[in-house]
Amino acid sequence: MTLPYGALVLEHFRRPRNQRAMDRPSASHEAFNPLCGDRVRIELDVEQGAIRAAAFTANACAICTASASLLTERVTGMPLQTAALISDAEALAALESDMPAARVACAVLPLTALREVLRIAAHASRA
Amino acid sequence: MADILEQLEQLRAHESRVAMATLIAARGGSPRPLGAKLFVGEGGRLLGSVSIGGCVDARVVEHGERLLRENKAERVTVTVDDAEAVELGLACGAEFDLLIEPISLDHTDAAIVAYETAVRMSRTGQSAYVITRLPAGGMPARMVSTHPFEADSADVFVERIAPADTLVLVGASDIGAALARQARTLGLRVVVVDGRERYATRERFATADELLVGMPSDLVRPYLVAGAFVVLVAHEYKYELPILREALRAPVRYVGMLAGRKRAESVRQLLRDEGLTGEELARLHSPIGLDIGGREPEEIALSIAAQLIAVREGKPIARRG
Repeated sequence: MTLPYGALVLEHFRRPRNQRAMDRPSASHEAFNPLCGDRVRIELDVEQGAIRAAAFTANACAICTASASLLTERVTGMPLQTAALISDAEALAALESDMPAARVACAVLPLTALREVLRIAAHASRA
Repeated sequence: MADILEQLEQLRAHESRVAMATLIAARGGSPRPLGAKLFVGEGGRLLGSVSIGGCVDARVVEHGERLLRENKAERVTVTVDDAEAVELGLACGAEFDLLIEPISLDHTDAAIVAYETAVRMSRTGQSAYVITRLPAGGMPARMVSTHPFEADSADVFVERIAPADTLVLVGASDIGAALARQARTLGLRVVVVDGRERYATRERFATADELLVGMPSDLVRPYLVAGAFVVLVAHEYKYELPILREALRAPVRYVGMLAGRKRAESVRQLLRDEGLTGEELARLHSPIGLDIGGREPEEIALSIAAQLIAVREGKPIARRG
């Protein structure tokens, strides 16, 4: 299978980091693209306002899977408030690839899921 | 191939009483399994068959109409002599024993209650046994058991109502829709899985037993059990890889994936790189289906359905060369 994307995308697609289901996540959310069918679920283990562990499950394309892998690596150990500041542009840049416009949605889908998980986790910590 | 409850439901639309003929013994070979049924409606409708020879079924219909009028059950023997056998394409003459009984299609008829109970048990994944004590002048008496039961006399007939094999169909494409329709008529329980709710709709999959939308690998997991057929027609590696990782290591009966040879080999290579063994990868049927040369969705679905039957029957053509 030839993938017209950078080495980092290929590496994280073939050897994704943090790809697993957590037994008892503090919060989780599944985002999906209704047209192409990409689905990614982000799970966080949160303690004292910080992300102790992040994991994901994806039935998604290489770009989306790599993006989820990189994102979960990046946010591990991060305070919730800091993770919430990650922008679309940063998620795209992390892939180190020239992303075709048509695939930007694939790249930012994990970030969409993460933002919702962070909102759920923040709400839970306030409750 | 509808189960008996579905057949009864079809009949209820038009009939209130039917004669139910059950094949209970055959000598000299039978094209239909014991337990095969032919229903003869009071209004003239026929459903099912106990033989592939038209004249055998025709004689059973005559008996059924008579027994409906007389409102009694009878054990009937239909004999096909050699001349008829040649005409029917049978290798030799044969005799068929049938239990023919009038039944009322309301839900209080004892026969219907017994079959409803057994089929409902089978739909929960458990085999059920309908034990029929054949009449000596009266009506048959039935009981249902979940324990295997051997007939201890010629006056007892035992039918095993086994759970239907499950087809887990990943990909709500046109090929998937065609295969779902065909598989249902072959007696398979059809579970359709996709991540896209615009495709996996009841309108497109009217006859599917279950229609599941979500993370496909999560949704498929509970069905990766002994006897299941897993067919991937999504033509999307995003679904294929996560599902194949588990399905090829599960005790399912069949795993097939829609792909050309080159693409199938690429998917195998990715899985090999992840550590799946040659033995596990050899379980994957891809390209999928028997090579009958079709291109349209219904034709491709037919080639896949044919392969599923070949696997079920243990035929050597099941694996594409």
